[in-house]
Formats: sequence, structure tokens, C-alpha cells
Amino acid sequence: MSCDVLEVDFDARGAIASSGVVDETTIPCDDVVLAIGQENAFPWVERDIGIEFDNWNVPVVDPTTFESTRKGVFFGGDAAFGPKNIIWAVEHGHQAAISIHKYCQGANLSDRLPRGVNLTTAKMGIHEWSYSNDYDPAGRRIMPHVDLKKRFRKLNIEVELGFSAEDAATEVERCLNCDLQTVFSAGLCIECDACIDVCPVDCLTITPNGDQKTIEANLKTARLEPEQELYVSGPLKHTNRVMVKDENLCVHCGLCAERCPTGAWDMQKSTVVIPYAIDEAERDEQLCRETRKAG
Amino acid sequence: MTSIVKPRIVHRGLSRNRLGLTIRDYEGGMSTLCAGCGHDSVTAAIIQALFELAVPPHRVAKMSGIGCSSKTPAYFLGASHSFNAVHGRMPCIATGAAAANRELYLLGVSGDGDSLSIGLGQFAHAVRRNLDMLYIIENNGVYGLTKGQFSASADIGTAAKRGEVNEQPPIDPVQLTMALGGTFVARSFSGDKDQLVPLIKAGMRHEGFAVIDVLSPCVTFNDHEASTKSYAYTREHSHEVMHADFVPPMPGITVSYDEGEVVPITMHDGSRLLLRKVSDDYDPHSRGAAIEYIRTQQRKGEVVTGLLFVDESRPDMHGINATTGMPLNELAFRGLCPGKRRLASLQRRYR
Amino acid sequence: MPGNAKSRINDFVVKLANVNGTGSASANTLLMKAIFRMGIPVTGKNFFPSNIQGLPTWYEIRVSRKGYLARSGSVDIMVAMNQATYAQDLAEVSPGGTLIYDSTWPRESVIARPDIAVIGIPLARMCNERFAKTRVRILMKNMAYVGALAALIDIELKVIEKLVRETFASKQALIESNMDAIALGYDYAKKHFACPLPTRLKRLDKTAGHIMIDGNTAAALGCVYAGATVGAWYPITPSTSLMDAFRAFCEEFRKDPNTGERNFCVVQAEDELAAIGVVLGATWNGARAFTPTSGPGMSLMNEFLGFAYFAELPAVVFDVQRVGPSTGMPTRTQQGDILAAAHASHGDTRHVVLFPGDPRECFELSVAAFDLADRLQTPVLVLSDLDIGMNDWMCRELEWDPAYRPDRGKVLKPRTVARLPGRFNRYVDPDGDGIAPRTIPGGHPKGSYFVRGSGHNRFGEYTEDSDEYLEVVDRLRRKWTTAAKLVPDPVIRRTRKAGNWGIVSVGSCNPAVNEAIDRLAAKGIHLNYCRVRAFPFTRKVERFLDQHDYVFVVEQNRDAQLKSLLMLETSYPADRMHSILSYGGLPMDYRCVVEAIEEAYLAGVAA
Repeated sequence: MSCDVLEVDFDARGAIASSGVVDETTIPCDDVVLAIGQENAFPWVERDIGIEFDNWNVPVVDPTTFESTRKGVFFGGDAAFGPKNIIWAVEHGHQAAISIHKYCQGANLSDRLPRGVNLTTAKMGIHEWSYSNDYDPAGRRIMPHVDLKKRFRKLNIEVELGFSAEDAATEVERCLNCDLQTVFSAGLCIECDACIDVCPVDCLTITPNGDQKTIEANLKTARLEPEQELYVSGPLKHTNRVMVKDENLCVHCGLCAERCPTGAWDMQKSTVVIPYAIDEAERDEQLCRETRKAG
Repeated sequence: MTSIVKPRIVHRGLSRNRLGLTIRDYEGGMSTLCAGCGHDSVTAAIIQALFELAVPPHRVAKMSGIGCSSKTPAYFLGASHSFNAVHGRMPCIATGAAAANRELYLLGVSGDGDSLSIGLGQFAHAVRRNLDMLYIIENNGVYGLTKGQFSASADIGTAAKRGEVNEQPPIDPVQLTMALGGTFVARSFSGDKDQLVPLIKAGMRHEGFAVIDVLSPCVTFNDHEASTKSYAYTREHSHEVMHADFVPPMPGITVSYDEGEVVPITMHDGSRLLLRKVSDDYDPHSRGAAIEYIRTQQRKGEVVTGLLFVDESRPDMHGINATTGMPLNELAFRGLCPGKRRLASLQRRYR
Repeated sequence: MPGNAKSRINDFVVKLANVNGTGSASANTLLMKAIFRMGIPVTGKNFFPSNIQGLPTWYEIRVSRKGYLARSGSVDIMVAMNQATYAQDLAEVSPGGTLIYDSTWPRESVIARPDIAVIGIPLARMCNERFAKTRVRILMKNMAYVGALAALIDIELKVIEKLVRETFASKQALIESNMDAIALGYDYAKKHFACPLPTRLKRLDKTAGHIMIDGNTAAALGCVYAGATVGAWYPITPSTSLMDAFRAFCEEFRKDPNTGERNFCVVQAEDELAAIGVVLGATWNGARAFTPTSGPGMSLMNEFLGFAYFAELPAVVFDVQRVGPSTGMPTRTQQGDILAAAHASHGDTRHVVLFPGDPRECFELSVAAFDLADRLQTPVLVLSDLDIGMNDWMCRELEWDPAYRPDRGKVLKPRTVARLPGRFNRYVDPDGDGIAPRTIPGGHPKGSYFVRGSGHNRFGEYTEDSDEYLEVVDRLRRKWTTAAKLVPDPVIRRTRKAGNWGIVSVGSCNPAVNEAIDRLAAKGIHLNYCRVRAFPFTRKVERFLDQHDYVFVVEQNRDAQLKSLLMLETSYPADRMHSILSYGGLPMDYRCVVEAIEEAYLAGVAA
């Protein structure tokens, strides 16, 4: 199979700005399977109705409101910003729906409910957490696949067979619980060292405050990822020192919070809040009610 | 599932000691003490010190009596032998162990109840014997397991959690040990590992009875405002006079220090202890002056900490006894039994 | 001069009444040893006060051509050297006996015994004239009465002289002054009285192959021979001389003559609680260790004895019993600790107890005690008493089997531990005998475990779980069954004529019981005799009981402790056991056994 060799220039956003053929190459092969993708095509949109297209022939869309350059016309999915996966397409749909709702209400499209993170403690009692906190050192489970011969006999067969019940359980326990955050309240800390002593990865340090270099020199374990930021608390009440955490090492086992006598450390479940159109609608209704009461 | 077992995680950031062991190899089971207990910090300091000293864990015997402090040997050095004696009577077990097996490292953990009340006599005599062991007193001024009664180390005027005020004078293990002729006397604080870890290392290397009185707050019963053994009070009132920097006996290591500020002490095994003077007017070689200094500061409401007294010249129990170098438990029977002929000849005395 | 003394050759009792701290003990020992060296069986009992100086003390020498070692209850010759007890001593002399007193201060006026002979010798006056220093005079007065007795009861002077020479070895001046003093008494007696008296000695050849030794010394020797390296004790009468002897033997046999290094370690503990603790610390580390004590010390050791039973650590404890309860009479003998020893400490505890019957057995059973303690991983209590421990007993020479090797029990070597397939189970018995193999600290990391007195599981880990606890304590009970197969059997003496009556006894009752059996046989009463030597009772003890319709249980305490233990541990009916008890604090007198059995026999015959 002979191919052109391209040389490409990227623009500031990382998109292809220009390209040109510089060479030709031949790859020897027995069979060639064509999987060459797809592209956007908007021949059905008249170019004179106020919807602007860019030099790739894709409509210009506001990344927040998903509105095109023509009021009341919204784009989403691959059609808006080029190829992305279905998860993004759904998100675009939600965002566009909010814009459409606001458009219909005659409200400002940019005045949107904020996104947020909700933190709620995972502590249920002494020695009891609302998540599986045990660190499982087990390696990644290998997903069993259909035998190659079978796969060649029947090309549309489902390749992944799925985990056994045991493997599935093990794989689940390998979860590092990234949604569980170690949350520190400097004002509660009595500097008893319990968290530092119990931490199985030595990721915590109490040290006098200072510049990055001084703090790093005092860390209980040398940093493995120097680029990653350290957590540095505010001053602790007894000694004015600070609590430092190297998040890179943390396995979210929660033992720091378990052994903390004052609750200065807590394990908190983080929930990301992304507003939907219905949330906008509810806010509108509430505003109405409040206005009526006041009136 | 909730787990309160400390997982064993060996990551590539963990350092290894001379024996190729990581600090995980010096840990034990999960503590069952109250969260925030000072004793857990002492446990961590012991783990750190022994890891740094690169002592083979199975050559250590952990000794304890009864009480919160005496539970802690379960939480460090999981590969060591351990003896949980009856209340206040760990020193005699340690004496027997040392008598039989002089090559064993004896590490005792006791509390203020165990050492200063029920076991005061045993403690005093272990000091007199200059038994070769490290004896840590985790001192919190209260009985924890029986729910907060005063111990013999509670200061006059200290109030219990429920308000009762202590009127009896305290027994200070530091002054007591000095008066009894102790050869290594230190005081530290569970919340100060920079001070405590080198002290533990030096105490392990000291040939004789090394006492470290560690103020170790009881978060449940004695960490309130009317306590003189709380985290806050101890931080505010402790006053370090001698900081110990421990230098192991390694060829090629030289340490430079300013003679005026550092008192070097050579230990029996060749390792060195560099005592950094934090307070100029303190002399760790004078028993009388040391006791006087501690008393003067005590009157001012200060708790003097650091390595307060060292004497490397006095022989330990085996030195006094002139015991043979080989551990007694390894001596062959034929060298111990005088035999048939001797029995016949010695019986002439009984005719 | 006395005229009514009847002739008693080689069968009489000499009692010496002295003041404590005057040096009489060496004179009295010299007397007894001289008799022993004349080939005549002899025994000496020391009745001394709990005092250093000034209180009365007595020494009773029984000469017995038949070799009886018990007290006989009679006093044929009283040497009254203590003015404070003069009246009491005078009253104690058996009719027909002789009283010897220091006539420097004449006392004829107070002598009111026409039935005895009285011999006055001015011992103090003679010594005061002969010796210059006060202390020497007091000491030599004792040697002077030895001289007088030599003349009066015919002790060979050359035997005495040899003993003096051996005792003072290199101190020529002392040999001379002592011999001078002996001559003073000897010459005075020869000159003033018809020597010898009808009650006197005559050379025999019945002591060959025997020695005169006290039980504490013999037990100490046993410790040395068993390979004990650690000893701990708190001084307490009457056990102190055991550790003194151990130290002396070790200084002799266990000290490098060139370097002065000792291959033993003796710890004088701060109290008995510590003493037993030191022993446990040492045995935990694989050394053989022991502690000698007496009743009050045993009481203090209870907590650790229970600990050792539960944590399964060997220990050898010598309880040289004295009179209880409480401080009791520290210098008097009793067998009052039997029950306390068998079940020392709270909870379900039971201990292996050995009962030596004489000093020779103190030696043998102390070696056995170390083997049993190691084999069974439990304390072994050797119950001697003041009579055996501190008095010189004539017994057969001690013997040693050169083939003896210590039984160190199930101890895993580090390389064996290293090869264990799974985890080391400290408290699991692989052989069905209830004994779980142990490891020694410092050996191998895999063999590490927690020694603890708190509830523990098979690994030695803390537990409060019923099943895990039961696994441990039920195995301990199985171990007890094993112990009953390993401990020494009783010594059984049978007579062909004996019917279905028996005697069961223990320890220092032995001489009295043996003599009683002979004397009862002369009266036509024949009994078999079982001397128990260990708790748990072996099958042979049960068999002996089952073979007899009625047994007399002879022991030296008020509450029939051995009988109680037999009632608890055997199926023998209590109403077929009859107690014979002697508990006044003096070594047992054979007559109390004779009288009690005779009475019962007559009542039985009458019935």
C-alpha cells in the first residue's frame, strides 16, 4: 500500500493549520482493512442565514452556550467542535438544553448555574466508613478474550468475555477511591502525630512552614512526582507548623482520619455537580415564588 | 468493607537500611489504643529508631507489664519475641532474660502506673543493677484502662477530667533514676520525634540501664485544660537542654562540630553520641548539678527534656558479675556439670 | 555421783542447750561428725531461734546403732549451757538421764531431779583462766564441753583432733587453741568422774558409703549438676543456705581460674516476686534457672506461678517449708505448703510438685525437677522443709550417672523453625501429649511470639474468644495427664505379713514412719508404706490406695493437706483415710505415729 507522507503545522490551539505532501512510502501487506473515519458535512446549511463557518467548514459555536453566530440556533456533538465521544455529545446536549431554555425565557444565556463539588463525610462511626477503604495490593485483573481463531471465524463476535465474579470483586477493590478526599481542618489539629504514624505510605509530614525547598527537605518520604503539587495546610494552632501531604502517595485508606482524635482529618466523598436544564427551570420557579411572596 | 488494618504498602519511595529492610519490617499490628494516644507516637519513634539502627528485629525482645503502654509492643517489631509480664514486674523478667541471653537487645515499654506505682520497687532495682536494656516510660499521669484515675506522676493541682484535684506530690522518674544511680537518663515528648528518635537509638546502644521518660498525653482522660500532661501544656512548658545526635560506628564517617556547643560521648560499641547543648548552663555529666537544674526549672513550671545524664563508665549487671562473654543459654552442658569424679571427691567434706 | 543411769550403748540422745551466736554450732557439728566417723549412725537436729544473737538454741544429736534418724522424744544427756533455759532443759531430761552443766556458778540448789545424774564442769572458769580474749573464751567454752563429752561418752580423741585439723586447715593457732580447750574439758571429766558413762559410744562400721549432708546443700549441688546457670532469690530462712551453697559450688566449679569469668549468674532480687520473675525471664531464654524460697516467698510468687503455668514457661522453685501461716515460726519445720503449692495462683492452676524425703533425694529430685520443668514447660516446685533443708542427715552417698544428658523438652532450633511450612503455632501440640514446642528468643524471626498471661490463642495472640481460650486450657489439662506419667513414682515399702492397712506419707516424715513401722511390727502390727514423691499422683499411688482397706496419712500440718489432695485427686473414699498429724514445728517424733496406729489397731481389733 503506498501512502503520502505529510508535514503538518499546528496553530496555537493545537489544531492543524496547514499541511503538504513531502514524500511517498510503500507498506507491504497481505490484506488491507479500510477504517478511515468520517467527517462533518454541512451542505444543507445555507451559508447566507447568519451561521458563520470557520476555515474547516465547521460552524463557529460558543463553547459555553453552544449557540452559533445566529441567535436561537444551537450545535452540539461532533457537529460543534469536531470528533469527540458519546459522553461529550450527551454533555453538549445538556448544555444546549440549558441555553435553549434560557433563550425561550428571554434570559441571558451566559448566566448559568455554577458547576460545583459537594463534599460529604464518609465517616459512619468508629471503625466504620461508607466506602471500602482497604488498600488491595492485587495486580490488575486480565480481561479474558475470545480465542483468536474464533474471532477470525466470526468477525463481529464480542471479544471481551467479562470478568469472573471473583475477578470482578478483586478489580473493584483495587479502586483507589479517588472520589474520597482527605480533607484537613488545620484549626482542629493538636499535632499528636497519629495520622503521620499510621499512614501506610508516609505521605504526611508536619513541618515548620517555609519555602517549597525547605518543606520538601523535611518530607517523611522523598517525592516521586516532583511536578505534582503538595498540599500545605494553614498554620497549626500549637506550633504554627504546617501539615503537608504528598497526594501522589496517598491510597485513600482513611487511616489518618480513623486515628485522628479531633476529626482534623476527614474522609469526604466528593460529588461533582453539573447543572441541567431542569435545575434552571427549578431556579426560575423558586425565584417566581419568592417574588410573589415579597409582592 | 471497612478495614482498620494498616495495609503493607512497599512503594519505590521507601528507603532500605543496612540489612536491606524497609521501615515496614519494623512495624507490628494495628494499635488498639485511643486515636491520638501519645503512646502510638512513641511506637512510631521506636520503629523509626530501630529501622535506622538496622537492628535485626528477631534479636530484640520487647518487654512490658500491664497497662495501655504495655500493650504497645504488639504494635511494633512484629518479628521480635515479646514478653507481656504481670503488672509492674517487667524488670525482673528482663533481668532473667539478660542473665540468660546477654546478646539479646532488651527494649522495655512501661507506663507511669506500671513503673511508678505497682512496679516502683522493680524499676528501682533494675536501675541499681544497671541492667543492659532500654526502658521507656510512657508517662501520661493517669490510669487509662481503668478510666482516668490519677497516677503517681500526676502533678499537684492537676485536675481529673471530672474535676477532682490531685493533692499528692508526683514521683518524677527522671529525678528518681538519677538519685538511684541511673547511667542514662532522658526525658522527651511523644510529639517530638526529632528529639525522641535519636534518644531511643542512643538508649539502645547504651551498655546499662537507659531510661527515657516520655511525656505521652492521654487524649481521652488527660488532654484537657487542667492537665499538666496534655499536648498543649507539654508543648508550651517543655524545655530542651541537651539534644542527642546519634552517630553509629561506621568507618569513614567523621562528624564536625563546634566544641563549645557539643559534648561528644563514646559508647561501648564505638558509636558516638553528640550532645548538642541547647542550654548553655547544663552539664550532663554532673548528677548533682543535673538534678538541681531540673528542680530549679520545675519550680518555674518548666519540664526539662533531652538527654539529661549519661555515665558510660559504670559496669552493667554482667560486668559486675564478671559473667562469661558467651550467653549462658548457649553454654554446653558438659562445661556446666562437674561430673561423676568431682562428685565423689567433694563428698569427702560431708564425712 | 550418779548411780541410777542404765547402760545404753550407741542408742541415746544428747541435747545441747546453747545461746544463739556463741559459736556452739561448730562445736555441735564437730561432735556429731566425730560420732559419724566412728561408724555409728547419727543424726543432728538444730532448733534455733529467728535471731542473730542472744536467744536460746538447741542441738539434738541422736545416736542410733539401728540407723534411725527421727526424733525419739527422749533426752539421755543434756548439756545445759544456757542459764535462761536451765529449768526447762533440766525438766526435759529423761528419767535415768544425765545433765551436764557449767558449774562455774554452782547451781546445786536448783537441781530438783533425783531421777537423773548431774555432772558439773566449771567450763567458763577453766576457759577464762586459759584464754585471754573474751570472744575466744566464749567460743572455747563450747570446745571444752566437746572435750568433756569425749571423755564421758567415749568419743575417740584422735577422730576429734583430725576433724579439728580439717576444719581449721591452715590456721595452726586455731587448731592448737581448740585442742587445748578440748583437753581442758576432757581432762577435767576424766579426773572427776567415772568415764565413760553407761550411756556411751562404741565404734561400729555402719556409716561406710554414707555422708552427713543437709538438704539445701544437696539441692544446690543438684542445680549445679543439672546445668542451672541462673539463680535468683530473696534471702529467707530456711532456704537461704541453698543459694549460698549454689554460689559456693559455682565459685568452685564454674569460674574460669585464669580470667575469673563466671558461667553462672546469681541475682539477689528485691523480693520473691522479682526472684521468680528473673527465673522466668531466664527460662524463656532457654537457660536452666531456679529460685529457693519458703512459705512467705511462695505466697508472693503466686502471681508469676500462675503466669508461668498459663504461658508455659519452665521454672524450678525450691520451697523449703517452715511453720505457717503468715510469718509463722521461721526457724521451725512444717509441711504446710502442700495445697498452696499444688494450686498456687488464681484460676485453674495446678503445679507439678516434688517431695524429697531426705538430702539425697534433694539432690536427685532437683535434677529431675529441671528435666520435668523443661519437658513439661511448667513450674516444678520442690517441697523440702526446714528439717531436711537445714539439718545434717545421714544418707547414702550421692551418685552421678555420667551418661545423664538434660532433657530440654520440645525446643525448636532456628533452622527447624526456618523450615516450618506455615506459621509457627506456639501453643499447638503436634504429638498428643499436651506439650507444644517452643522457640528461644533471638533464634529465628519466624519463631517469634508473645509470651503473655492474658488469654491467648494457639499463636500466642491476645484473645477473648471462648473457643480459642478453651483450646489452650484443655490442652493444658492434657499436659497434666502427661505429667502424671513422667513424675517420680512413690517409694513403697511392703512387708509380707502386712494385711490391708497402709501408711501414706511424704517428705521428712519418712524416718519417723520407717521407725514406727519397725516398732509396730515388733508389737505384731504390720503395715505397708507408700511415700508419695510427686504431685500429680502417679498410678502407683492410686494402686497402693486401692490395695488397702484403710490408710493412715502421716504429714506435718494441721489441716491434713496431703490427705485433702488425695481426696481431691483420687477416687479413694475419704472415710478410709485416717490422718496422723504433727505440726508443732519440731522435726517429727516417731512415737506419734506408733501411738496413733496402735490406738486405731486396738479400736479396730476391739470392733
